[in-house]
Amino acid sequence: MKVLVAVKHVVDYNIKPRVKPDGSDVDIAGVKMGINPFDEIAVEEAIRLKERGVATEVVAVTIGKANSQDTLRHALAMGVDKAVLIQTDVEVQPLAVAKLLKSLVEREQPQLIILGKQAIDDDLGQTGQMLAALINAGQGTFASVIDVKAGEIEVTREIDGGTDVVALKLPAVVTTDLRLNEPRFIKLPNLMMAKKKPIETINAADLGLDISPRLKQLKAADPEPRKPGIKVANVAELVEKLRLAEVL
Amino acid sequence: MNAPALPADVLEQLKTIVGEQRVKTDHDSLVTWGVDWTKHYEPRPSVIVFPASTEEVQAIVKLANTCQIPVIPSGGRTGLSAGAVAANGEIVISMDRMNKVLSFLHADRLVRVQAGVITEQLQQYAEQQGLYYPVDFAAAGSSQIGGNIGTNAGGIKVIHYGMTREWVLGLTVVTGKGDILHLNKGMIKNATGYALHQLFIGSEGTLGIVTEAEIKLTRQPQDLKVLVLSVPDFAAVMPILHAFQQRIDLTAFEFFNDTALQKIMAAGHAARPFETESPLYVLLEFEGRFEAVVDDAMSIFEHCMEQGWILDGVMSQSQSQAQALWHLREGISETIAPFTPYKNDISVLITHVPAFIADINAIVAANYPDFEVCWFGHIGDGNLHLNILKPANLSKDEFFEKCKVVNQHVFETVQKYNGSISAEHGVGMTKKDYLGYTRDAVEISYMRELKKVFDPQGIMNPGKVFDL
Repeated sequence: MKVLVAVKHVVDYNIKPRVKPDGSDVDIAGVKMGINPFDEIAVEEAIRLKERGVATEVVAVTIGKANSQDTLRHALAMGVDKAVLIQTDVEVQPLAVAKLLKSLVEREQPQLIILGKQAIDDDLGQTGQMLAALINAGQGTFASVIDVKAGEIEVTREIDGGTDVVALKLPAVVTTDLRLNEPRFIKLPNLMMAKKKPIETINAADLGLDISPRLKQLKAADPEPRKPGIKVANVAELVEKLRLAEVL
Repeated sequence: MNAPALPADVLEQLKTIVGEQRVKTDHDSLVTWGVDWTKHYEPRPSVIVFPASTEEVQAIVKLANTCQIPVIPSGGRTGLSAGAVAANGEIVISMDRMNKVLSFLHADRLVRVQAGVITEQLQQYAEQQGLYYPVDFAAAGSSQIGGNIGTNAGGIKVIHYGMTREWVLGLTVVTGKGDILHLNKGMIKNATGYALHQLFIGSEGTLGIVTEAEIKLTRQPQDLKVLVLSVPDFAAVMPILHAFQQRIDLTAFEFFNDTALQKIMAAGHAARPFETESPLYVLLEFEGRFEAVVDDAMSIFEHCMEQGWILDGVMSQSQSQAQALWHLREGISETIAPFTPYKNDISVLITHVPAFIADINAIVAANYPDFEVCWFGHIGDGNLHLNILKPANLSKDEFFEKCKVVNQHVFETVQKYNGSISAEHGVGMTKKDYLGYTRDAVEISYMRELKKVFDPQGIMNPGKVFDL
């Protein structure tokens, strides 16, 4: 079984992002970038499937500028077999990403496509669902367990108030949630090997798809600062304050 | 435990100095503030006082001189050598209330703090200024700056940033005599005679009490990369250190053995970072701000592997992975605590580390083949923590009795290599009997004379470091 994993190159999640002075966007110039953590979980899951003998080949794909290669190297070092960069300088939104992924799915014919449930930069959380619709495949979103059976998979989904298990015919799209696995540490020898592995680059413009942005970002702003707390002298005062705040 | 009676008028005078609420004589307070992390001695102070200013500390010390009652300075009480233990009816001066950051001079990158500021609080304050206070260790969430200064605390970043001493540019102290001294006042350059502030750093409260300090801060490290390497034997550790240090400024170089890793995994505190098992592991850290540095690290790694010094290794790809890898090393002390480990904190010159370790291993193997030994420590500074775990079938007393014999051998070996019996934990009471292995008699006599200058009545933390 061939597995396709989509990964996104995003601002490192330990970085505290800053809004540009003009409020147009988040300032990411010179900021440390890395693999989207949910996508890292997707890569880990695909590699585990391969290690268990379930998957035969794992292909990682990313869409973006040339520097997105770093994230593909990360995936290669973790153990994927092949890496593809669909290169574009256009800001790609979920629908565009889904369309581009669809073209690669048609070429690679994977049985299983695993993606992060969302990217931590825009937090849109739509790509997996749109891709499933475009390729007319089943979807198992927010997965915490993936169980591969003959010709189908069972996906345990994280939902409000519990879990939900769905069975999907292959090919299928799965999006990962945090509890699915804990990605491995990368071994240095693998990191070095990954530097030498080839990465296939496809020019997005050559695919003849409309990937122009449909959503317009109006502004970016810092969250409201938290209001300072107060100290109360006794329980009576606490109760009074809570009443005033209409909590009690 | 009965609190040794303090004359009623002394108690009254203490209350006048710090206020009624700031003097405690109840049993719970006495056993809480009268002891540190060591459990060898029964705490028996007579009173705990909580001053709020240097002047209050001075008044207490003057009173103690008049009444000839000894005084124990007390910080976060995380010491491992019983340096802050009050076992003989002393007055404990707790710095808990002197916990304020007083001022910050941006151009000097200099922060002025009271001695009761918690190490982590200082680290966080530095971060708020976009800066960094680099002295860090497992107890940083409880230990206080005053205590750090008293023991010249070290920790995990010493290889790059040095000990607490490197960061103290000024001290306000109350001497054992009761004088207030403002020492060095934060200056980098000050060639006007004896650097008295240096004497107080590492003096374990035997000369006086540090009440305020001027601490230097530095820029924040960026993109710290953590490597954990599996290593076939002790002989390979130093060549790895040299290979990396030749080209990269390391911010940490730690090691631990497989016994330590097994304990951490068994406790469920961490998972094996990679499947290759080996007797030893090295954890190193550096700033990977530039691609070229990371590339360098990889080529050094490759070289070390070709030489057979390294069997395998991983590198953190994010801050959370870096923290997870650090936990393998930092979690050891806590994990082995239930095994009542016999602990040692010894150091020798890096040059002597391989021969030194071989000697110690031979001693342990010859005398106690059945004992489990956890080795870990700041090997990049020549500082080793030898931990022998108590076998379940031995009682605590039997075990410590046997360990005392090991102690003798270990400290003789330390002496042979001109090393230290206490690298960063201080001497306190637990290492006092062994001071002679590191300091000779003449040197100790000079220390005694020095103490008399600052503390003529011998009321400051008596019975610690050496006997008068």
